[in-house]
Amino acid sequence: MGKFSYVLKNTLLNMKRTPLLVFATIIAVLVSSFLVFTTLSARSIVENNTLRWQNGVHVVVFLDDRVTTTAHKQLETSLESYPEVRTVDYFSKSEAEEEFRVLFKDQTELLAEVDYQILPASLRINLNDPSNYKLIIERLEGNPAVREIRTSGEAIERLLSLTDTLVISATAFALLIGFAAFILLINTLRLAAYSKKKEIKIMRLIGASSTYIRLPFIFEAVIESLIGTSIAVGFGWALIEYSKSSVVADSIFDITISDDYLIFLTLSLLMFSIIFGLFASFVGIRKTLND
Amino acid sequence: MIKLKNVSLVFQGGSVAVSNISTEVKEGEFIYLVGNSGSGKSSFLKLLYREYIATKGEIEVANIDVSKLPKWKVPLLRRKIGIVTQEPQLLENRNTFENISFALEVMGCLPEEIDVKTNTLLDLVELSDSAYKFPEQLSGGEQTRVSIARALANNPIVLLCDEPTGNLDPDLSIQILSLLEKINRAGTTVIMATHDSLLVNRRKKRVIQLSDGKIVRDESDGSYIVR
Repeated sequence: MGKFSYVLKNTLLNMKRTPLLVFATIIAVLVSSFLVFTTLSARSIVENNTLRWQNGVHVVVFLDDRVTTTAHKQLETSLESYPEVRTVDYFSKSEAEEEFRVLFKDQTELLAEVDYQILPASLRINLNDPSNYKLIIERLEGNPAVREIRTSGEAIERLLSLTDTLVISATAFALLIGFAAFILLINTLRLAAYSKKKEIKIMRLIGASSTYIRLPFIFEAVIESLIGTSIAVGFGWALIEYSKSSVVADSIFDITISDDYLIFLTLSLLMFSIIFGLFASFVGIRKTLND
Repeated sequence: MIKLKNVSLVFQGGSVAVSNISTEVKEGEFIYLVGNSGSGKSSFLKLLYREYIATKGEIEVANIDVSKLPKWKVPLLRRKIGIVTQEPQLLENRNTFENISFALEVMGCLPEEIDVKTNTLLDLVELSDSAYKFPEQLSGGEQTRVSIARALANNPIVLLCDEPTGNLDPDLSIQILSLLEKINRAGTTVIMATHDSLLVNRRKKRVIQLSDGKIVRDESDGSYIVR
């Protein structure tokens, strides 16, 4: 109990000695952790959405009006026989018109001017594996019943590629700020250890173990790291909650992220911040203790 | 209590600090370690509390084989030893009471225990009236006494003093020696390094003289006179 109170007292004393550095360290850890939290959350949201989209329609085959309905039906039957195809739905011209009217219900001028006869009938295909959309394109190439083929695969691939770029950029930035936080933390500890050089020397003469001498510095690093990360995670949760009720949520983007994932992310970050603090304290005071 | 057998200490670069020393210190003894600057007195003491590691030979302190002691066990050795350095090494921002109680605090004593022990130590070194003075308000002799009190906080079985009177005038030096002898009479083994020949001549204690890292004289009967 006596030893613990000594360690705790000295941890707080260390932090009181260099308040500005402690503040800067916490801010750097905060920014870095916030970036990691939001990046990983955003990636999870994008993944959820792409998964949702991928479970929908993957390929739309617009049919040529000049070809008979029988040819359309034959095409539908042959598509259904392909192993990579899960379902094929026929979408008639009238259904296309109905859909158009729903989609553009706010644009009355457009609705009044459109010649609905140009809207083609289509086959909407859902694939077992959405990445096989290119195979369908190849199979339908040159088919006289086909007017045009549109796939969601390309759009999803572009979105995922964009997300990956964003994740890599944000991660690189988070790592950079994390490194700055690491340097700041090391300097804070070195200053604290330097100002206690005499005290450390006496402690060693008295017979205090290295671990015991290190403990206040280890606690300081872990506390600063945990404070920064906890605030960052708090901001992250708040941002997600805000996004759920914001304009973004009304778009096609679904801002849902499972609580399990958020808890996992939070605990992982807190755990990492402890390891981060331990490592920084090890590096920060190694030299002072070895002198 | 303390045994050294064929102990040598050679620094990197080849300078010899201690050369093939063998000696024994019995429990309750008071020993003056004398010699000129650079004769190996400090190195001798530092070998005992494992600040230095012997290049050769065997050292035993309080039944601990110091020469083979792993680094992580050094604190266990030092808890049995009190160390007083030439510079008192006091914490400027702490008063006399706090400087002494610091050692007890570090060792994890409870507040009540710290109060009682610190007051006892203040009485022993006759500094009760200066308990709340800060180091800068104390004389050199008083600072050394604080340092001795702090070294005694762990109830060491041996007290190693490295020139504690080095910066003091003769009168204050005699006061420190009297204090150390008082501590010795209470049962603590004391080894004190000094280069002050006159001081040693008057005390009639065992004297070990070092020169170039070697023991050149060891007078156990108090008949030693430095010429």
